[in-house]
Amino acid sequence: MFPLVSATLFLPLVGAMLLVFMRGSSPRLAHAVGIAASGLTLLGSILMWARGVTGEGFSQVEEVAWIPSLGAAYRVGVDGISLPLVLMTAILFFVSLVFSAHISERARSYVALFLLLETACLGVFVALDAVLFYVFFEVSLVGMYFIIAGWGYEGRQRAALTFFIYTLLGSLPLLLAILALYLGSEPNTFDMRSYIDSPPLSGLAATLALIAMLVTFFVKTPVFPVHTWLPLAHTEAPTAGSVILAGVMLKLGTYGLVRFALQMTPDALKQLAPLVVALGVFSALYGAFVALGQTDLKRLVAYTSVNHMGYVVVGVGVAAATTDAEVRSLALDGATLQMVSHGVVTGALFLLVGMLQDRAHTRDMGAFGGLLQVVPVLGWAFVLAAFASLGLPGLAHFPAELQVFLGTFYVYPVAAIVVLGLAVTAGLYLRAIQVAFLGEPLGKWTGMKDLGAREVLAVAPLLLLTVLLGVAPFLVLEVIHATTAGLLP
Amino acid sequence: MIVAALIILGPLAAAVLILALRRLAPALALLGAGVSLIAALFTLSRVANGAAYSATLPGLPGLPLRLVAEPLTAVFAALVAVVGFFVMVYAVGYMRGEGGLVRFFAGMSFFVAAMQALVLAGDWVLLLAAWELIGFSSYLLIGFWFERPGIAPAASRAFLYTRSADLGLYAAIFVLISQTGTSEISRTLQAGGAAAVAAGLFLLLAAMGKSAQTPLHGWLLDAMAGPTPVSALLHSATLVAAGAILLIRAFPLLPPAVLVVVGVVGGLTTLVTGLTALAQRDLKRLLAASTASQYGLMLLAIGAGVPVAALFHLLAHAAMKSSLFLGAGVFQHASGDSTELADLEGMGRARRLTFLGFVIAGLALAGVPPLSGFWSKDAVLAATFVSPNAWLLAPLALAGTLLTGLYVGRALRLLWRGEGESEPVAGERWMGAGLAVLVVLAATLGLAMPPVAGLLGAELSEETLLVAAVGLVAALIGLALGWALPTGRLLGPVYGLAGRGFRVGGGFDGLVARPALGFARALDVFDRGIHAGVLAVGGFGLALARVADTMSDGIHAGVLAVGSASLAVARASRVIDDRGIDGLIDALVRGTRDLGARARELQSGLVHRELLLAAAGVALVFALLIAGSVGS
Repeated sequence: MFPLVSATLFLPLVGAMLLVFMRGSSPRLAHAVGIAASGLTLLGSILMWARGVTGEGFSQVEEVAWIPSLGAAYRVGVDGISLPLVLMTAILFFVSLVFSAHISERARSYVALFLLLETACLGVFVALDAVLFYVFFEVSLVGMYFIIAGWGYEGRQRAALTFFIYTLLGSLPLLLAILALYLGSEPNTFDMRSYIDSPPLSGLAATLALIAMLVTFFVKTPVFPVHTWLPLAHTEAPTAGSVILAGVMLKLGTYGLVRFALQMTPDALKQLAPLVVALGVFSALYGAFVALGQTDLKRLVAYTSVNHMGYVVVGVGVAAATTDAEVRSLALDGATLQMVSHGVVTGALFLLVGMLQDRAHTRDMGAFGGLLQVVPVLGWAFVLAAFASLGLPGLAHFPAELQVFLGTFYVYPVAAIVVLGLAVTAGLYLRAIQVAFLGEPLGKWTGMKDLGAREVLAVAPLLLLTVLLGVAPFLVLEVIHATTAGLLP
Repeated sequence: MIVAALIILGPLAAAVLILALRRLAPALALLGAGVSLIAALFTLSRVANGAAYSATLPGLPGLPLRLVAEPLTAVFAALVAVVGFFVMVYAVGYMRGEGGLVRFFAGMSFFVAAMQALVLAGDWVLLLAAWELIGFSSYLLIGFWFERPGIAPAASRAFLYTRSADLGLYAAIFVLISQTGTSEISRTLQAGGAAAVAAGLFLLLAAMGKSAQTPLHGWLLDAMAGPTPVSALLHSATLVAAGAILLIRAFPLLPPAVLVVVGVVGGLTTLVTGLTALAQRDLKRLLAASTASQYGLMLLAIGAGVPVAALFHLLAHAAMKSSLFLGAGVFQHASGDSTELADLEGMGRARRLTFLGFVIAGLALAGVPPLSGFWSKDAVLAATFVSPNAWLLAPLALAGTLLTGLYVGRALRLLWRGEGESEPVAGERWMGAGLAVLVVLAATLGLAMPPVAGLLGAELSEETLLVAAVGLVAALIGLALGWALPTGRLLGPVYGLAGRGFRVGGGFDGLVARPALGFARALDVFDRGIHAGVLAVGGFGLALARVADTMSDGIHAGVLAVGSASLAVARASRVIDDRGIDGLIDALVRGTRDLGARARELQSGLVHRELLLAAAGVALVFALLIAGSVGS
């Protein structure tokens, strides 16, 4: 069998290596290599999707022994939860590289770093070995650090450093947890599949390992109160960097919540579930309200990410708490679908805000007004993406949020107050649209150019997916449900 | 079956085509609405003969989407299709010469499709989705002239009011699905107990939002900023009807406790918005307040336990109110685009044909026989009179009837009295066509009520002549007073409050929007504080590092000092070594040499010296011997 997963995983890295050796190449060539590499990766993930997953455990597994005595090996594979995330990652990276084709300053390094980052992110989702998972988890931080520090906006150095150190420190407890899982497993192995099939820890050890994992993944997701790195990193990162940061890297945290916390320490998470759900509800409402108070468009979208990821955390907590298999798969379906929806919608939003910033050199919505007349394509694209983000039915977030809310109501009816987040996000997006896009255009913006071909090529696929996920969510839910239906015994 | 699907697919395809082709927008929209109309009437006739259609679409796992055409839903579908088509005809004339026709007709077509999906929905998820989508269409259509001042806030406010109230629909759906394990509407209506009460109240909340019931009625008046065809279609006959439609459909679920609340909300709305209508200075706002008031009457009927009376009034009101709006639109164009009653003075005289239609629809609304409004209002009144809570509901219904007469009389007076000058109106024929059909319906729909009742298998309340007479008297008194008396005299002290729509405490802006924004900004400050805390931790770490650095320097200095000390000791040792020990040895060597040199001198070889030395030696030996023998 052709090792499709490994090929897809390492294609971007090959592209990055190529770029390293192509000294003195023009920016156009560098971008061409990047788009080609990520395009082939996208093709690979589509083929992976076509191959599909079975309901039992992991599919498309590829294994190469590394240190047999330690039980560490190169293992990759996918299941219904990771395969949609892999496809989403490939799409987002491809779109980001298409959008970035205008960058001429040190283009070679930029594209190489993005490709490295793509391999790292894909690696997290397909890794079936805990050490491999952790390595890819950390490498992604390195890639993003350099992207922010090298091509970001005014406060980029500080933002990059804060982001890197904060999330790196946050990742250390995961290492402890992995070691605990290793030591607890009989025979000692780093194979994630054996951790899932027979959870190695119990009692206090499991609870402590879980807490360590929760610290790491809450920092990454992010959840209140360890979320404050997010607005800083998002606003200072270059546009494509923000797209990947919000669209892909936040999902590393939520994926870890499902894969590690839910599947490897299920009983401990069941005990801690009320706390997790409460934190998720609070984080969701908190993120929505703080987003309402923003005037910087990028910061506003960044905080809505906190809100949406809060729903995912609630879904995972509910899935852990319930004993009813149908409710569990309902909540988990919603949580996973929300990860995919958020990647697509928020990716589009960051692209559009970035396009606006490129033209106006400001992100303050008070500086704008009446833009819908001046740049209608950009404006209507923003309206569509904004309504998707606030949960309008027929667009991406609605099916996922409905499933999460319904599941939550089954298990913790009180937690259903989380739906108030819908009203708050509606308010904040309508306010942003009204202030920036409606009304009479200010004189200084009347010359603003509408979206060019590169920008349309970048954002249109995401908007199409937004509508597709809203109208036909079953296309993705089939794959997700195949796994979640039989997830925990 | 396919025909039934065309009810939704016709307008939906029209919307997509309009957006894709960006040409022939009015024609495509008419085509879509026409297809929907034919399909709806056909389906209704089939359903009347006993057929029932249903379809299932893939939705979420365990929650498939369902469409169902049965008597109740088919009647609603026909209503939406008829009003939709004729308002579309009117809109072709009204929007002549306007820019943005692609956006307008695509929006209108999309709305019709979504509304049809709502009335034909057989499961809660599809109903919820359609419910939200009509709200979205409303936002786009109210905000059609988004570049004008005041439009964007009106559209945003409409969407936010209804979206917030829609959380009630979300909550009701959660309760119903978790209680009954299915999302199919007809099966969930069998829920009982506390769940039914909770679900019923949540459904009422959602209905209050969409149907502009007090205290959520403010958005409807502001929504009048949109083009008049939008006001006629959405904000009188269809979108605002969604709340009443929801309650009528969910009626089997609602326990008596909830029905009381429904009736009270309806009655309160009838009163408050009726008074508001009297005090409005803009014709469209008057009609909007009237709309809310009429829907209050419908909720009264539901609360009284006779949903079919509410249904009749819904059908009649759709025809009557949309006619009134269409007439207002003609007057608007004739006065150079104003709907202020002051600008429309005497316009009725200038455009008599339109005014005739307006009068017919207005009298129908007031409840003058044999027009349709008389029959529907009579059904509502009869229902409230025989209900268990007649003491509460009947006076409210009567007050509503009186108020209706009052503001209709007022509107007719203001349009007739005075010298009106009409500008030439473009698209007259289209507008006239649409208006005419709806006026005819407003006049004659009363004939359709018995067949509809038969179709739905519902029974109307006992017809008593007393109720009919009381209602008629109230209506006529209202008309007379409204025609004769100026509003200030009618309302007296309530005038100012009514003019503001009984907004208390600053309304939505003051009570919800501004506090929320203030809270949000405070939270933002708090969040930045958390981040400052995080950075302080980082700074603390840096400070620790600096302390450690200083300590490290100190330790290093200490180590260096130890090294220097050793060197000093080494130097001292060398000095001692060089001078001390070596010196000693040198001295020893010299001493030995000196001694040797002196000793050599003794060996002189001179005899006298050697004899002397020998004698001295012998003497010494003798001395020693003597000393030794003495000692022992």
